[in-house]
Amino acid sequence: MTQPLILIIEDEAPLRRFLVPTLSTQGYQVDVASTGAEGIALARSYNPDIILLDLGLPDCDGLDVVRELRDWSRKPILIISARNQEKDKVGALDLGADDYLTKPFGAAELLARIRVALRHATQVGRESPVLRFGALCLDLEKREVAMDAVPVKLTPLEYRLLEALARRAGKVATHAQLLNEVWGPTGEGQTHYLRIYMGTLRRKIEPDPTRPRYLLTEPSIGYRLNVD
Amino acid sequence: MTSDPPIAPGPILVALGSDARSLRLVHAGFRMAREQGRAWVVAHVEVPGWETPEEADQARVWLQEAQELGAEVAWLRSSTVVAGLLGLARKRAPSLIVLGMTRARGPWDRLESSRTQELLRRNLDVRILPLALDSVPPVEFAWRNLGDLVGIACAQGVILVFTCLFAAALAVVLGFPAVPVTFALALGFIVHRWGRAVAAASTGAAFLAYALWFNRPFGVLSVDSWPRFVAFAATVLGAQALVDLVGQLRQETRLGRRREAETVLLMLLGRALARCSTVQEVAEVLAQRLHSLFQADAWVLLPAPGDRWLRLPEGGEVPPGPPPSRLLPESSAAVAREDPLEPFFEAPCSFVPLAGTGGTEGLLQIRLASGGPLPQDRWSLLQSFAVQGSLALERIQAVEAAHRIRLENETERMRSTLLGAVSHDLRTPLAAIQGAATSLLLPEEALPDDTRRDLLVMIREESVRLTRLLGNLLDLTRLESGIIRVHKEWQPLDEVVGSAIVRLERQGPVPVRVRMPPDLPPVPLDGGLMEQVLQNLFINARLHAEDSEVLLEAWAEPGSLELAVSDRGPGVPADFRERIFDKFFRMPDQIRDGGAGLGLAICDAIVKAHGGRIWVEDHEGGGARFRISLPQDGPLPELPDLVPLEPAP
Repeated sequence: MTQPLILIIEDEAPLRRFLVPTLSTQGYQVDVASTGAEGIALARSYNPDIILLDLGLPDCDGLDVVRELRDWSRKPILIISARNQEKDKVGALDLGADDYLTKPFGAAELLARIRVALRHATQVGRESPVLRFGALCLDLEKREVAMDAVPVKLTPLEYRLLEALARRAGKVATHAQLLNEVWGPTGEGQTHYLRIYMGTLRRKIEPDPTRPRYLLTEPSIGYRLNVD
Repeated sequence: MTSDPPIAPGPILVALGSDARSLRLVHAGFRMAREQGRAWVVAHVEVPGWETPEEADQARVWLQEAQELGAEVAWLRSSTVVAGLLGLARKRAPSLIVLGMTRARGPWDRLESSRTQELLRRNLDVRILPLALDSVPPVEFAWRNLGDLVGIACAQGVILVFTCLFAAALAVVLGFPAVPVTFALALGFIVHRWGRAVAAASTGAAFLAYALWFNRPFGVLSVDSWPRFVAFAATVLGAQALVDLVGQLRQETRLGRRREAETVLLMLLGRALARCSTVQEVAEVLAQRLHSLFQADAWVLLPAPGDRWLRLPEGGEVPPGPPPSRLLPESSAAVAREDPLEPFFEAPCSFVPLAGTGGTEGLLQIRLASGGPLPQDRWSLLQSFAVQGSLALERIQAVEAAHRIRLENETERMRSTLLGAVSHDLRTPLAAIQGAATSLLLPEEALPDDTRRDLLVMIREESVRLTRLLGNLLDLTRLESGIIRVHKEWQPLDEVVGSAIVRLERQGPVPVRVRMPPDLPPVPLDGGLMEQVLQNLFINARLHAEDSEVLLEAWAEPGSLELAVSDRGPGVPADFRERIFDKFFRMPDQIRDGGAGLGLAICDAIVKAHGGRIWVEDHEGGGARFRISLPQDGPLPELPDLVPLEPAP
């Protein structure tokens, strides 16, 4: 199996100097673009396995890059951005980016996110009907949930919510994405539904709902099902 | 203005007396000088022995006023006014001399004033402009048409006839010869009612009646009885003089009372204005007082940015009138008026300029219910109102300017505090990072592995600290500038608490114990922001209370959700309980703890943006207890029905 190819679209030299050796030493092949146009061109010619994308690019907005890549590629896109305004992140995620990291970040966190994204990408198409996350077990075919092998009774909405999160396990799911998947178009903007059902779901699944182990909150952005 | 001699290029010379009306000359000179674009000189000639010291002082006041209006002033001493003026005129070669002229009270007054003019005219080749200083004295009584006159004559006739009958009755029935006294009473009444001029005819008629009727033999004018005629005439004239005197006294008393009333009015106005703190309030007070005084609507017109005019008090109908900018004393239309600062009438409103030390502030506009002008004798009162109003406006402007300056100073102080704090707090971690990195770059054998690792850990920790500081600074700036909007959504509190704790645990173990009832209702709040509040409180607790347990409690109260974060640290002394929420405030013994004094300021800003309250109190048994109260406003949104899915196969 060849090493996964990572494309970094980032204009700032210090960050490239940090990213390239860090990723190379982990055994990834790394390619670098410093503008959005160059990044899209490289992505078209090499079809990298994962793309690290900075939102603040000199020639265009990172969101445009996400939009253009998503036109033809399903490969994971990991946003690395200094912007910590929620709307930028939510915008990129809603456009189809898979995850985000706010600068500054540590190497360990970056590598973990890359692993999750790659694993998820390789799972697509050969989805197993039974998903396991630690003590949490989810049978997609039987629509059954168990915690430590003890069945958990969920209402239909709670189940759909958990399923939507499980399908993106380890990645962040925005409020809009979850609302759309669970409630359909009528759920648009009704974030409080989501929060309140997430609350009841947590009480059924989490051993300590105030210290969630599985259903993590990404404040103002969405939720993430923890796979660690 | 007709031009007798051609206007020479010299200045306008205004000759001032010392009485109050001289002020009009100053204003006229001001107006003409501006109109013609000339310099103007205002002079007072002091003739030794002519003026009392008070009058001289007054003249000095007028000169000062002239100086403030831009005039060159001169105080001359000379044996006569003409000599003084001639001396000055020869030196300055004025193009025009403006003199005050009292309207003649008698032929000798006219002679006097024209002699000055004549002398000046003869000695100087210059135009002389005499200005009338006094307005026409008010007429006591005037008939408007013939009907009035006939009416008055009839009334007086009737009075005289009754007087004759009464006097005759007294003489015949009682044998009491009180004829002259009776006539004197009647004529006194007539003088009182219609004035001396009108009473002259009646006096003649009365005299004839007395001479013909009450004098023996009846119906004959006898020359022998002249002593009695003289006695009669003396009685009648004496009575008339007395009535006149009493009338004058009464009028003076009335005038005095009115002055007193006006003084009290102005005092009350001053007191009301002193309480005003905004321009709007000043306008309201003025409008209200003018309404109760003159039954008139009043407005304050103030220039606003962009050539607009502010009409206060706002609301209500807008009275018709010319554009206010045309009415200002500085405007060309106003130049035509005799005194630019006096009230004037432009149908249907009267206007008074509101002039402060910094020039004209605006106008006071009043409209009488009748639509006519305010009576002349009330103008001085109106002017006093305007003066008080402009003083109040000026005071408010001064206060506002002071406030603005204080605000700027405060901002400046904040900025320098910020710079100081930021540069210190940024430099400390940067110094550590730089130091560690340069040590690591030394030749490898110089550092043992343990040390290298320590340095690397330090670089990581310091950069985390820098990140947090920058984040806090940015957040606070955004919160304060309103870039961050609070986006409240109904949500269970556990979510916020949970994500705060999870996030914190990534940086190390947090001994947080949560005590929260499971049935805690959802609250409307901005999850991201409230999480930050909790995180900051937890970080503080960890910092100040070492490894002791931190307790988070939450409970619902009617209309609010209550939160408490308690620790077992040293607590917060009572003196600092308010100030710890200030930006960059650090308790004196904690200056070196690495914090920038922003955490609690951010908490405060966020909680306030939620409409809530944050404060600190003593934790029972020692430590600090931070309390937050969040309003639980609005009804809980409805949740969609739980439609069961078809059971799984």
